[in-house]
Amino acid sequence: MQMLRVGYAHPLEDLRDEMDRLWTTLTAAPPLHGWTRQTTSEPFPAVNIFETDEAILIEAELPGLEPADLELTAIDDELTLAGRRADPIEHAHAAEAAGATAEPHKLTWHRRERGTGAFERRLSLPTAVNPEGVVARLNSGVLTVTCPKAAACRPHKVTVSAS
Amino acid sequence: MIASPQTSLAPERQTAAAEADRGLTYRPNVDVADCGSELVLVADIPGSVAEQIDVSFDDGVLAITATVRGRPQAGNPVRQEYGVGDYRRSFQIGEGFDGSQIAATYRNGVLTVRVPRLAAVRPRTIPVTAG
Repeated sequence: MQMLRVGYAHPLEDLRDEMDRLWTTLTAAPPLHGWTRQTTSEPFPAVNIFETDEAILIEAELPGLEPADLELTAIDDELTLAGRRADPIEHAHAAEAAGATAEPHKLTWHRRERGTGAFERRLSLPTAVNPEGVVARLNSGVLTVTCPKAAACRPHKVTVSAS
Repeated sequence: MIASPQTSLAPERQTAAAEADRGLTYRPNVDVADCGSELVLVADIPGSVAEQIDVSFDDGVLAITATVRGRPQAGNPVRQEYGVGDYRRSFQIGEGFDGSQIAATYRNGVLTVRVPRLAAVRPRTIPVTAG
């Protein structure tokens, strides 16, 4: 008697599934809302977090954003990065089309990998921070956030006295 | 996305040997659109400066190279989701574009390159009059 193996699939079925996946990847339109990188579903923005005795430092790559496009919220041990990125090409094209007297040339996309729209990412920090003291800087698309640790979470030097 | 048949962009050239001798190099995410009179390329290159970005056009290949100064590590890493390094990517641009008139601007970590179409090959609408 032949046993039916669970999860068994004919090699050609695997191939077909693989082709389906590939086809979906190739033909999927870029999202209008939300933010995805083309081949990954990594959260946006990607962050690097560092810790010193006094503070938690967060770096995020946010190219194309003005400081006004970004909203940061810090509470306890949580930092939320939220914002919106506009599409410069679409924006310029729409402006041109609005001002044009003749029918504007249709925009043809060859590649769309950057992603536009709104995003929000909530980060859990290793310790509680003092929300009042958070300082954020956006320079050339790199956001640097310095969150001073809450007093209770800072290392405290204990003096040892002789008895 | 599938490239349309008239697309002028071929897959970028791999210059593996060149990349190997320069440490870590990243491929920037790009948007490329044909706006009729020009080809507009927008690339995410966070953390660079205009002086450190090189845009060249040679033999139909538009190449972007950007140097990113490593940011000093501020403390003990808790989480690392991205690496910092130079960016490099190149594109094959089809015939009919004016390589001598390319304009590039860098702002907020985004590089915008505009490659104008040669005047002779711009699409024209020819009005038809009743005779």
